[in-house]
Amino acid sequence: MERILTLHADQGDQPRLAVARERGAYDGLRKALGLTRHQIIAEVTASGLRGRGGAGFPTGRKWDFIRPQPGQPVYLLCNADESEPGTFKDRYLMERDPHLVLEGLCIAAYAIGAHDVFVYLRGEYASVGSILAAALAEAGEAGILGATLLDSPYELRINLQLGAGAYICGEETGLISSLEGKRGYPRVRPPFPAVHGFGQQPTVVNNVETLANLPWIILHGGEAFATLGTERSTGTKLISVCGAVNRPGVYEVEMGYPLRDFLAREAGGILDGRALKALIPGGTSVPILTAREAEDVTLDFESMQHAGTMLGSGGMIVFDQTVAMPGALATIANFYAHESCGECTPCREGTGWFAWIIARVLAGEGRPNDLEQLLRICANVEGRTICGLGDAAVQPVRSFITKFRAEFEALLPADQDTRPDWQRHGHGPRAARHGPLGQEAAWAEPVAGPSSARL
Amino acid sequence: MSLLSAESLAIIADARRAGPSAQGALLTALRLTQRERRQVGVAEVEYLARLLDLSPAVVEGVARFYDQISREPTGRQVVSLCRGIACYSRGAGAASEALRAALGVGPGETTADGRITFRLVECIGDCDHAPAVMLDDRFLGAATPAGVRAALDQG
Repeated sequence: MERILTLHADQGDQPRLAVARERGAYDGLRKALGLTRHQIIAEVTASGLRGRGGAGFPTGRKWDFIRPQPGQPVYLLCNADESEPGTFKDRYLMERDPHLVLEGLCIAAYAIGAHDVFVYLRGEYASVGSILAAALAEAGEAGILGATLLDSPYELRINLQLGAGAYICGEETGLISSLEGKRGYPRVRPPFPAVHGFGQQPTVVNNVETLANLPWIILHGGEAFATLGTERSTGTKLISVCGAVNRPGVYEVEMGYPLRDFLAREAGGILDGRALKALIPGGTSVPILTAREAEDVTLDFESMQHAGTMLGSGGMIVFDQTVAMPGALATIANFYAHESCGECTPCREGTGWFAWIIARVLAGEGRPNDLEQLLRICANVEGRTICGLGDAAVQPVRSFITKFRAEFEALLPADQDTRPDWQRHGHGPRAARHGPLGQEAAWAEPVAGPSSARL
Repeated sequence: MSLLSAESLAIIADARRAGPSAQGALLTALRLTQRERRQVGVAEVEYLARLLDLSPAVVEGVARFYDQISREPTGRQVVSLCRGIACYSRGAGAASEALRAALGVGPGETTADGRITFRLVECIGDCDHAPAVMLDDRFLGAATPAGVRAALDQG
């Protein structure tokens, strides 16, 4: 298989500039600087490259939206927030081949006419930021990414920004708000970032893995890239696999690769020879697949969509037969309740109720209609919020309950008490990020569930 | 009087110039303050508001949004155990109990001598080493009480 992203990533010396240069680092940038902006955008459009952060939006089209007024600055923001549970592929790329990421960043900046670039890393990735900073310093001293790119007159300033612990800052407009020194609240679109983004200026936000594809596309051409993968999912994809497999880690596969083969070969099979129970293919924000549903799926956007889920971030979480689904869902629901930014009522309240109701079901204190109640809340959250977090929180709740209903029903008592919640329990869920409690209290005690629900 | 080192102030000054608005430096300022002062309490909020020419309410509102910025003083070292779904399915519950026993404090608590804070955190992106643990900014890999103890002793 053609490797685009990980050709040198498993060689420990790749972060060193001299070594990386010998293996061709920055050759793509050199070639790009000899092209016009429009030629690069045309090449990337022809490649069919789609964003690798989760949504899969065509990269060339995103760039093409940038039409600055004369004198207006354009910003490129690199989304290195990677907070989707089960996802660690961007970290892998930045740690193992930082120059590949920086080279892609420079090509993208040049293509959209940005002279100021910000790489937004999640706060937990401070050590990754140090590796990028070292690579940046080395490339600066070598005159590759100094005041100008290589020997061209193109000015580029690359800034690294660490976040401070908030999942929502991986959402592109939440990221922009955070970078502006505000709470990481997402923004209503339109206007889109391409028109009013960072500092109200035209802005592109691209994921790390997306950018890392660019040097190859420039060197080999968009058409060559488009021959890899499937018709609507071109190229390769990094899959970070974790949970119940023998070889958790990051693997590059050609789009369209059978999931079954991936589990058996790359991931080394299910842990301890157990049977696969279910898996989440693209981070917790996409619907779970049962073992049977997973049998004929391939790793690409269309096949996942056909199976009722999404390729998402490529963060694959595998569950074997020993994992109880209600406990797993409680963990996931607590995550969204904690990470909802609180801006939109349906998400703020809905994620709290998800966590609270699932916790009481898990504790054996559920009500007979709790599963219907959860599904009803799903319908009241989905599509009613500014950003995708509300929709994301709904996917695991709905898919776990629909596909593993018997496990949840087994926890429900044959209780015929039909009093409303407020008479039985007194108060609703405690909001986390936006509530009267401080952060610490909020995450130490997110819901009134048993300890197994919290951890 | 400055609450922050000259080095941090220089970084904040650079950050103010890097982006389209000076408030963009606030996130960096909060991070550096947390690192140096181990908290962003009332005094720190008022200091940063003056430094960045922002209202204290704005600084407070932003500070409270982010999990790594703490209103109360944290320990000199922070042990963060991941409670994400991958770590949950690979024994984070047992690891939490083992760390509680080894550190003498539970999740969300700081040792009486102010040395160690133990936290449970959302997915930290070290899922292939589940159950994953961090000491300050360092990924320690799979959590074992002995491994965490050794890392703490190294500093």
